[in-house]
Formats: sequence, structure tokens, C-alpha cells
Amino acid sequence: MLKSQKQKDFLFDSVIYIVLFIIMLTMLYPFYYVLIASFNKGSDTLLGGVYLWPRSVTLENYKIFLEDPKWYRAFLVTVARTITGTALGLLLTSLVAYALSHRDLLFSKTYFSIIVFAMYFSGGLIPYYVVLRSIGLLNSFAVYIVPSMLNTFFLLIAISFFREIPGEMKESAHMDGAGELVIFFRIILPVSTPVLATMALFMGVGQWNSWLDSAYFVQSENLRTLTYRMMEVINKSNSPMDAIAVANSASASAGVTSFSLQVTSMVVSIVPIICVYPFLQKYFVHGIMLGSVKG
Amino acid sequence: MELDTPLTSPAAQGGRRSQLWKRFKKQKVLHAFVGLGMIFLLVFSYTPMFGILMAFKDYSISNGIQGIFTSEWVGLRYFDEFIHDYQFATIVRNTLVLSFLKVIFAFPAPILLAIMLNEVKNMAFKRFVQTISYLPHFISWVVVVGVSYAFLSADVGMVNRALVEAGLIDKPLNILTSPDYFWGLAVGSAIWKEMGWWTIIFLAAITGINPSLYEAAEIDGAGRLARIRYITLPGMKGTIVVVLVLTIGSILGGGLVGSNFEQAYLFGNSINNPTSEIVQTYAFKVGLSDGRFSYAAAIDLIQSVISVVLIFSSNFIAKRVSGSSLF
Repeated sequence: MLKSQKQKDFLFDSVIYIVLFIIMLTMLYPFYYVLIASFNKGSDTLLGGVYLWPRSVTLENYKIFLEDPKWYRAFLVTVARTITGTALGLLLTSLVAYALSHRDLLFSKTYFSIIVFAMYFSGGLIPYYVVLRSIGLLNSFAVYIVPSMLNTFFLLIAISFFREIPGEMKESAHMDGAGELVIFFRIILPVSTPVLATMALFMGVGQWNSWLDSAYFVQSENLRTLTYRMMEVINKSNSPMDAIAVANSASASAGVTSFSLQVTSMVVSIVPIICVYPFLQKYFVHGIMLGSVKG
Repeated sequence: MELDTPLTSPAAQGGRRSQLWKRFKKQKVLHAFVGLGMIFLLVFSYTPMFGILMAFKDYSISNGIQGIFTSEWVGLRYFDEFIHDYQFATIVRNTLVLSFLKVIFAFPAPILLAIMLNEVKNMAFKRFVQTISYLPHFISWVVVVGVSYAFLSADVGMVNRALVEAGLIDKPLNILTSPDYFWGLAVGSAIWKEMGWWTIIFLAAITGINPSLYEAAEIDGAGRLARIRYITLPGMKGTIVVVLVLTIGSILGGGLVGSNFEQAYLFGNSINNPTSEIVQTYAFKVGLSDGRFSYAAAIDLIQSVISVVLIFSSNFIAKRVSGSSLF
């Protein structure tokens, strides 16, 4: 009756491989489906039955997406906020981290307490909104950039990285009469690419994915982001009345429906993340470990 | 270092002060950099903290920031109002149910995945599965909701249509627009999005286990399951406790596995509202859509206070029960 250990192991391995394979499929297939749906004629997708490859291949969805000023504009705003937000966030966070990485800095204990307290406690969204409103950031492009410029989590990570840089490099530059800004840009930043890359990737992904600020801190249609537009379509199609409108809008332009536009925008939103994914991967395992130790 | 000179005479003290001042002047550029950062913290972190005062006041948005200090005190009026809100019971129930369901189902998922991945001998397959599994972590919740729509919606949802075609169901299930499915949807999508990400930390914990323990167990005749039960799981205990404490501390926000707010807000609609409205989305709507700032701040504050209590008590219990804790 007793099965041999070998047989048992084989059974055990098979179960694990099958379960993992199913998990992998559930993670991967949604992305794949969205991709093929974006290359399939919108009105054809609505008929159902598109599972493995596009049935009626077309680039119309992408064409309409780029021609529709609403989507196109949202795409540009998202790209602009990602680039500007990441660059300025990187600059301020690393500059402050550089100053705080000096072990002999006066009052550094006080500075650190102020930073750590701000990491753990927040006033909540409502008072935050009041602050944004009073300093005139609402309904401006700057609301995407300025509030997130100083990232306290990465501030601490950058400080510990900068502290590992040998002091002699700075000292010899000091001897030559270089100011702090020169040292920061010419000596510190060039040797800090690993930490700068990690920060840039995470800040960039955060900027790219952010939706709340576009939904609530901005009213101008010109400032809406890609995530906001997607949200708008989803909200519309979930209310029962508009579902009919969606079905009916499967019309005019080359079978492009609001659903096919939506999946297209999703692909546009996912592809950049997949492009930086190999780099993200290289750095984030280290990042999450650091975070968990500090957290 | 040079500050360690004994402070005997007033002259020495004066010297110390001037030395400090000298050092400060030498560092003035660095202090300017830090000062710049402090201004950001003051404006975007500390001013909102003072803003909590508005929960106890009759605040009107037209008075700006000063209004937080100048408006009239009303004590606990808004807290009282929330408790008597006709939606109070529903909202609190939804928040608690959603949070606990996530701890029960979404918290163990990455532990199981890590253990399964650890049993895989084929490194290429293991790495591939892992790489795919944390991809969703980097995708916006908006896109996750969009994907769910593409799969589950009653009219264009692929899964629904396939099930109807296969004759397994008579008519499409209203998964996205029915109060019956929201909790399952939220827990399921949280697992889908965050399981792989948290697997990283549990796999790291497994890597830290001494391999000779496994060898010894094998010689003693322990099967695969027995080795998982008696070596892998105990070896992960410390990490599991720390992550559990963190999860329970942030449980009302959705724990570490997916933000309750983003899910409830983005999956929420007028039809599934009876199960999808939670404290945070309610505070948000009351505050930003209806403009009742003091009321919303009071609701928000209740949740924050409960969260702080939860993290300290779960940490305390973890310390007592298992000896490992967060702080």
C-alpha cells in the first residue's frame, strides 16, 4: 500500500508545478488579452470569442487613440509629469540627502527626528487638500510635481548610500576650493548611479500610475492624465445606462468602440512599465529589503 | 569629538559656543540644503497635521489655512454626528469585513507561493514564475480595475461571455455591479496584484535557513511536507510575524496587500455601494465632493487613531506570543 518515496516526490512536484503554472497564467494572460484586444477591431471584440490572438487585426484603435485630442493630451501630460516629477524629485531628495549624510552636521539629530516623524504620521487627505488649496497648487500642473518632490523614504536610503562614499574624495575637492554644490554634482552624483537609478525608477512608476491627484486636485480638462481618462471610461461603462451607450457607440470610425479605446489606453499605460521592468527588478529586491528593515 | 572638552569655566563655555557657531558657519550651505527639505516637510506634512484641528472646529474652506486656527471650536460634535450617521453601521462593517478578509486570505497567499517556489528545482522556471508574479505590483490600480472590467463586466467581460457560451451560466454575472461580489472581487484582485511582491521578502527569509537542517531531516526520513512543516515554516516565523504586525497595523487601510481605499474607490459604484463604501471613501466623498471638511476630517481621524492603537497592540501581542516584534 505504501507508495515509494520517489512516487510521492513525483506527485508532490507535479502538484506544485501545476499550481505554479496556473498562477503564472492568471498573472500573464490578462496582460496578453488586453494586448490582443487592442489590436483587434473594436466591434469584432464585442462579439466575443477572441481569446488567443486578434481575429480582425487592425491598428485603428491606436490611430484613433492618437488622433483623439483628449487621449493624446492625457498621454502627453502623463509623460510630462513623469519626467518632470522624477527629475525634480530626484534632485531635491538627493540634495537634502547629501547634506544630511555629513556625520558632523550640527542638529542632525533634530533633522532626523523631524523626517522620521513625518514618515509615520500624516494629517490625512482632507487637511492636505486644504493646504494645497491655500498655497495655490490646485488646478495646476505643479500639483503633480511639487508635493512629492521630497520623498522621505528614499531620503533615508540615499543618506545611507552617500555615507558609504569615501570621505577623501570630498576632502580633496574641498582643498581645491570646490563648493558644496560642485562637490554634489561633480563628485557625489556620478558615483551614486545605483541609488539614483532605484529612486528614479520608483518615483517614475509612482508618477506614471498616480490617479488621485488628477481626479481631485485638478479641474482643467487640459491637465487630466491617462489614468484619469481610463477611470472616466470605466466609471461610465459601469453605470447601467451608459452600457447601452457604449454598445451603440460601436459605430462611426472603423469599428472602434469605447472598450477598444480603453484597452488601447491600458496597453499604452502598461508598456512603459514593462520596458523599465528589467531595470526595476535589478534594484527593487534590494529596495524592499531595506524598506522592510527600516519599516 | 572636540566638543568633549570639560565644561569647567565660563570662558571654556563661551569658547564652545563660538566654536559651534564657527562650525555652523562652515556648514551653512549644507544647512541651506536641509532647510529647503524642511520647508517641504513643513508645508506638505506638518501643516496638514495641524489641520487635524479642523475636526474639532467649525471650519469653512473659504477661510484657507488661517481658518484652521481662527474658526470656532465645536468639540466632538462631528464625531457624534458620524456615529449617528445613517450609513455609519454599514460603512464600519464594510471597512472591518474587507480588512479582515484580506488578512485571512491575502496575507497567507505570498507565504504559500514562496514555499511552493522554494520547492521548485528548475531555477529557470522558478525565476520566470517569480518575475511574472510581481509584475502586477507595478501596474496602477486604475489599470487593474480596467483589466477586471475587460474580463468580468456583464456586457463586454470575456470570462462572462465564455461562461455563457459554454452554457455554464444562463446569464452574465454582475460581478462588478452587484453588492454580492464586491468583497470577493477586492480580495481576489488584491491577491492578484500584491501576492508576488510580498513573496520576495518571504523567499528571502527561506534563503536564510541553514541548508544542513534539510539534509539532516532527509537523513532522518522526513518527507517533503514534513520538511516544510518542521523546517521551512519555523525558519520563516520571524519574518511572518513582522509582516503580520505591519499588516494588522495598517489593516484598516487594506494592510500591505492592496489599498482598501483605491479598491473601494475604483471598483465602487452606485450599485455595489452597500458593500463597497468604506470609512476612507466616505470621508473622501463627504469632504471633497460635498465640501464638509470638518466632518470628513473627524471621520478620517477616527480611522487614524484606531490604526495607531492596532499597530501598537499587535506588536505587543506578537512580542508576548512569539518573541519577535517590530519595535
